[in-house]
Amino acid sequence: MLALLCTAASQAAILHVKATHVSFFYDRFLVEADGGVRIETPQFAATGDAFSMDLKLNRFVLAGHVRLESPSGIEEGAALSDFLDFDRLYFLPVAEGADRWTFLNGDLAHPVKGRDMPGDAFALPDPIDTPPYLETNAAVIGARSFIRFGPSRVNMAAPSGSGYVTLPSYYINFSSDQHLGQNSLAGATFDATYAFAGNGQSISALHARYDTIDKTYLAFEQHLSGKHAYAVFSVNPVTRPSKFWNLLLSGTPSPNFQIRSFTQLHTFGSGLSEPSESSLFTTVQATQGFSGSFARLTAQFSNFSLLPVASDPSHPVIPNHPFQLELTAQQFDRRIGLSPLYEQIQYGFGYVHDAYGLQTLGGTPYTTIWNHELGLQLYVPSFKLTTGPRFYDSTFLTASVQKQRTWYSTPHYVDVASSSLGLSRAFSAHLNAFANYSVQNTADVYAHGLGSQVYVPFVPLAGGVPYPGYAAFNGTATFRTLALGAAYSNNGFFSASLLARKHDDFPKSVPDIFPDPPLDVLGRELLTGNYLGQPPYDITAAFRARIDPHLSIDVERSYYFHFGHRGWSPEFVIQLGP
Amino acid sequence: MIKIFAALIVVTAQLLDFEKNLVFFTSGDAFRVASNARIAGPAPAARRYVRATFDDAGRVVELDVSLKKFPAQGDLADVHRFAVAMSAPVPNPDLAPKTGAACAHARAGRFVTVSISVQVPPATPLTDTVYMTSDQSGWNAQAYRMDRIDPQHYRTQVRLQSGTQMQVLFDRGSLQSVEAAPNGIEEKPHLLCVGDEDAQAFTRTVYHWIDENSGGLQTVPQALPTPYNAVPFPNLPTPHPALH
Repeated sequence: MLALLCTAASQAAILHVKATHVSFFYDRFLVEADGGVRIETPQFAATGDAFSMDLKLNRFVLAGHVRLESPSGIEEGAALSDFLDFDRLYFLPVAEGADRWTFLNGDLAHPVKGRDMPGDAFALPDPIDTPPYLETNAAVIGARSFIRFGPSRVNMAAPSGSGYVTLPSYYINFSSDQHLGQNSLAGATFDATYAFAGNGQSISALHARYDTIDKTYLAFEQHLSGKHAYAVFSVNPVTRPSKFWNLLLSGTPSPNFQIRSFTQLHTFGSGLSEPSESSLFTTVQATQGFSGSFARLTAQFSNFSLLPVASDPSHPVIPNHPFQLELTAQQFDRRIGLSPLYEQIQYGFGYVHDAYGLQTLGGTPYTTIWNHELGLQLYVPSFKLTTGPRFYDSTFLTASVQKQRTWYSTPHYVDVASSSLGLSRAFSAHLNAFANYSVQNTADVYAHGLGSQVYVPFVPLAGGVPYPGYAAFNGTATFRTLALGAAYSNNGFFSASLLARKHDDFPKSVPDIFPDPPLDVLGRELLTGNYLGQPPYDITAAFRARIDPHLSIDVERSYYFHFGHRGWSPEFVIQLGP
Repeated sequence: MIKIFAALIVVTAQLLDFEKNLVFFTSGDAFRVASNARIAGPAPAARRYVRATFDDAGRVVELDVSLKKFPAQGDLADVHRFAVAMSAPVPNPDLAPKTGAACAHARAGRFVTVSISVQVPPATPLTDTVYMTSDQSGWNAQAYRMDRIDPQHYRTQVRLQSGTQMQVLFDRGSLQSVEAAPNGIEEKPHLLCVGDEDAQAFTRTVYHWIDENSGGLQTVPQALPTPYNAVPFPNLPTPHPALH
């Protein structure tokens, strides 16, 4: 994978700009330079009085007493304009009078004289009333990729105000390479990123972050991206004892094959001193695509403790180090004839091994468990039931049915069957609503009467009150959910959504019987899998509002109608974004 | 004796350069400046604005220079015939209208409301939030939050300038939960090209999420994998079991 990463990536054309004043306007992706401007590209160097580059249009103008130097010679002119995407350099010479020259495809020795030029070839932007985001005297521009500034004054109150801080360097990436946007950090309520170094294939960044668990802290992240691979490394938080050292690797040597890995080392200790707790896990996933299906092999190695003895009793050693392997094959989603129905089939094998034991049944300890699974999914993505006079007056039906059985080498199998039926309708161009009812059955079925050893019937007590209904639970659970949702969106400036759900489950939800699910760093419950005891009613409201052209705020919170100790969800989920 | 003066032509423009008695406008045209021309205001230089008066011979006889834009006056097309050029004009095949290219005919400068809809895999949990990320937002995975309009569809509306081209992907809050192609491989970004209609629709289908179907194996940063659990219910009541 690293070899793939090191293969030549597509190199962006590099432009060096130096001037008495270089300004960057973030809201317009505009670089303006004035006074003793000197630019250097791989093909030529030029000096002039004023420079302007639109990074999005990927073209620049150099104007005023221009001197163009190239291996073909020196030319003097009034202005030059380089349309980098098209490899066209337009030049206005003044040697023996005015003229119009066009250099084609980097050939500076043979100008095409008199050739018509685009009407806006030498357009300069009108004066900008707002203060620049950044002021410096040198910049390196990677065409359609990045801009890197030398020592800079950065306006933290841009675009409307002025509040400058001085930074030794500043880097902004605007490439179409999505892999440079990959991150290996956990979510955070707030994240201010300072990219202090980088080029077309790498970014080095410090993050100032806040979340509900670690509060305020710093993190570091390094990105690398090549033509067929990328890597991300991070330490998060750097300034707290509980540190996560993450490495994300991905390689796509062919359009039909991808291999990804994620490695996480966790240490608990001050700085780089010997940790009192340390664990490591690595997941490797290889996917091979075929003409109508794909196969995926996933392996995970876990070491819950890397330390031989616990140096701190509050961080005990967990000896387990399971190894898990999954091989699945999945068919593409296929429409059944001309019906609105789509189907998909999945089959897989699995293997788990842990020398310290995985499960004990009938007095037999199992250190290795094999499994295989078969799954089928049928769904209707969107079926129009009614049509009204306006484009949004239609009512749609969505439905899905899924069934999966997993057989284990231990004497049991797990069935998961779920079905869902929904109706949706738009009430205006801005307001949508839907209703959905879903049922999921999960059954863990043991042979030879062993089920009663795993799901021992008992009557739990909550606050001293017995709940005998739970004694009927033998490994078969049913989750029924009625959901009503509505979403309002107003041209991207404001959007809000509301999701109300009613759960009617077996075993029945009883406060303080079932352990709460863990929370993520944003304070949201991680309800993956078959969590028992969901509050019977919940309602989640979220909105996003644009504060200014560059900043929006997301706010989300759930309410559980005072089920047990839960009224509201633990925290507001608040995120600031672009 | 009656002396008849030809009408003077006045235009406003922005300067590229002024040297060797030639004045260059951002239109790319160069004009001769009369040796006795009146020049007022700050020194003519790149970026500055001018109000130029041409005599009937096509020479600039008056040049008012300003740091601020003058009210528009005259038409640069009317003085193009006075432009100085050593070479005869040659047609430029690059400027021929292009057909078939995305956004090729969009008139720039309009704000267009783009309604973006995406169909997601049926197994996407009801509580998941779907976002759109793009190269225009530095691939911030939570740049555009989408609202669920039914169990399998999300939608958002954004206002974008006509002619905008952006590469977009859909995700569930992180690029580690980004969409995957039908063959399970990471999806390539979709091109969203904004035309110049009043409103535009952009619809895509997410076939898979890259983090689905991982056999329950975990790739979530800052979350330790849970020990192997043979039971499919992660939170059975405790103390367990209390025999009765």
